[in-house]
Amino acid sequence: MGREPDAIDTKVLWTSVGKIAHPMDMNRGVQGTGVKDELSRVVDALPGLVWTARPDGQIDFLNQRWCEYTGLSVDEACGSGWQVATHPDDLPKLLEGVESILGSGEPGEIEARLRRFDGTYRWFLFRFRPLADPSGQVAKWCGIASDIDERKRVLQADIDDRKRIEEELRRGEARKTAILNSALDCIVTINHEGCFTEFNPAAERTFGYRRDQVIGKHIADIIIPPSLREQHRSGFARYLATGEARVLGKRVEMTAVRADGREFPVELAITRIQSDGPPAFTGYLRDITERKQAEGELQRSEAFLSEGQRLSKTGSFSWRLDTGEIRWSEQVYRVFELDSNLPVTLELIGSRVHPEDFPLMWDMVKRAQAGKDFEYEHRLQMPDKRVKYLHLMAHGTRTSEGQLEYIGAVQDVTERRLSEEALAKLRSELAHMTRMTSLGALTASIAHEVNQPLSGIVTNASTCLRMLAADPPNVDGARETARRTIRDGNRASDVIARLRALFSKADAPTELVDLNEATREVVALSLTELQGNRVILRTDLVDDLPSVLGDRVQLQQVILNLLRNASDAMSGVDDRPRQLVIGTERDGDDAVRVNVQDAGIGIDPQNVDRLFDAFYTTKSSGMGMGLSVCRSIIERHNGRLWAASNDGPGATFAFSIPYAPEGATGAGDLGAIQTSALSDTQNDMRNP
Amino acid sequence: MTNKRSLVSVVDDDESVRESLPDLLREFGFSAQAFSSAEEFLTSDYVDQTSCLILDIAMPGMTGPDLQRELALRGQRMPIVFITAYREESVRPRVFEQGVAECLLKPFSDTDLLDALNAALRVN
Repeated sequence: MGREPDAIDTKVLWTSVGKIAHPMDMNRGVQGTGVKDELSRVVDALPGLVWTARPDGQIDFLNQRWCEYTGLSVDEACGSGWQVATHPDDLPKLLEGVESILGSGEPGEIEARLRRFDGTYRWFLFRFRPLADPSGQVAKWCGIASDIDERKRVLQADIDDRKRIEEELRRGEARKTAILNSALDCIVTINHEGCFTEFNPAAERTFGYRRDQVIGKHIADIIIPPSLREQHRSGFARYLATGEARVLGKRVEMTAVRADGREFPVELAITRIQSDGPPAFTGYLRDITERKQAEGELQRSEAFLSEGQRLSKTGSFSWRLDTGEIRWSEQVYRVFELDSNLPVTLELIGSRVHPEDFPLMWDMVKRAQAGKDFEYEHRLQMPDKRVKYLHLMAHGTRTSEGQLEYIGAVQDVTERRLSEEALAKLRSELAHMTRMTSLGALTASIAHEVNQPLSGIVTNASTCLRMLAADPPNVDGARETARRTIRDGNRASDVIARLRALFSKADAPTELVDLNEATREVVALSLTELQGNRVILRTDLVDDLPSVLGDRVQLQQVILNLLRNASDAMSGVDDRPRQLVIGTERDGDDAVRVNVQDAGIGIDPQNVDRLFDAFYTTKSSGMGMGLSVCRSIIERHNGRLWAASNDGPGATFAFSIPYAPEGATGAGDLGAIQTSALSDTQNDMRNP
Repeated sequence: MTNKRSLVSVVDDDESVRESLPDLLREFGFSAQAFSSAEEFLTSDYVDQTSCLILDIAMPGMTGPDLQRELALRGQRMPIVFITAYREESVRPRVFEQGVAECLLKPFSDTDLLDALNAALRVN
């Protein structure tokens, strides 16, 4: 079975078989059985399995190759015996085909698998051809089966390949269509002439054309604005001519135009489609109008912010406590006069913070670590010793990861502080002058009130003496003037009594006073002043403090006075924090106590008893009235005011006032709780 | 002292001055009239007859200096001895510039008053 029967073989076959099958004809042309044997040998030599069959299809001849191939003898295979060598799957089709061919009387072919002697099946092409007798009737069928197994296998592989490729193409196409249709970006393809070959739904929506309106149209005529068309065309031509591409494979922004003529910004990426044919391109376009607007807005708002920060000398910062990462806006760098490329660290900040304000800075860090919002005023000291004042505020927030982050603002308040300081100096001078002036006015007023009756006394007494010295003495006149002298003396006494009454404020109202609340109000009022003095204030108020009965304003004046004294006592302290602690607590079973503790110059033990004397002062500018007034106010509340040195630096001033009695409403008069000593004095003076 | 008892008028809002001063002035030998205000003095019949005026500086309504100006405007040139219970330096130089002989601070002694009156009348 070295080769398949070719056309010549087949021709030989048909001729040969015809001769074998028609002995009568053969007799006419060929001589005797010798010729027949020779023909049989020819048939056997043909590279194919040859057989003949009667008109009803029963096999009556098989060549030697047939028998050798199938391993069947002629006897076994003749008739219908050959069918056992046919592949069971192919047999029904084969029989059907044979029947059809026999019925038609025309030549035909069928493919089927035939079993080889060793059991393997190979594909064969069975060709059938009728041989007619002289009357034209089919006298015999002859056939040749050629081995097409090899070819068939190759063919099948080809078919399989083709099918697979087609399937892949089909899938690819479906995928491509799905991508094109569902893509949010515009996807277009263009051929080497620059004409659209694809235009997806997103492109339809964006540009306002239907796909069928643009396919085959030049891209420049459809989506490129008129002003840019020439540029596009020359760029395209250049690419085709030289391969030099300016936009290929990159993300570029350009202007496109809609069907209605409106132009808008797009982001564009063009890639060349890899294929063997002429160049073709895919373009991905995205309408970035909104993004551009947002970018514009962002740029504007950044510019606003930056300009606003510059103008208001306010910078912003963020500080993450977990990582220690601190970020500054440009303005903060400007305020600190540091290069904006430097990473911000506490050390870097510390290099600029005024040495005297380190305690404030560490207080701030501690406060931040405790998760509290903070607000500070502190100073910077530049390398050239210039001092800047900063106002710093920060608010703690949680990042998306739940970490504590402070967002804050830093304002350069140097100019304000300097003018405030100048103003404060002026104000304090003014206050001092006012105090002196009003004291002078008070003194003058007292002098006037007392001098009037004194003047009467002196004049009357002089007149009296002159009347008595006359000759004869005017005794009646003298008696009258002496009487007037006494009356004027009483008038002077009344004036004094009136003044005492005026200063005693005996009618000051009393009410229930919550010392915590009173303290908080005073602290709120003093905070700016204290911060100005760089005092670190702590309040330590106990809950559930019983109220006291008294004059709220007077008690607040005492607290204010103690706070100011404490702050003043620390004005020269630069080697430690100017720490001021104001606290409330219960004092024993029946009183409430307020403590004001400073870290100032402290008290000289020798002077501790004189502190509360009127006109005693350690301050160069003071009158010495503050503490004596404070003590008298507290004593009129049946309380005590005292001072003590701290274990560390500074002193603590404290006062203690008894609780209000159960059920007290506070209605009434401070006179109700004050000692009666003063009223007794007044009465004494009225009755000389 | 002149034969005719010179009239010294006292203008002061303080009653004890109005009571005591005229008695002392009479002891000195003057005749005396007391007025509780500048207005009362100006409307009285004694303006022309007054040889010397003892005038309180601080009074409600017209003050002593106000009355002094008013008298100058009317051409009434009489010596004035100011008296005041205020010890304010700022007031006194001003009244001296206007030709006042003396200013006494209450309380003043009888001799100081007499010296002031004599000085005032001598200037006149």
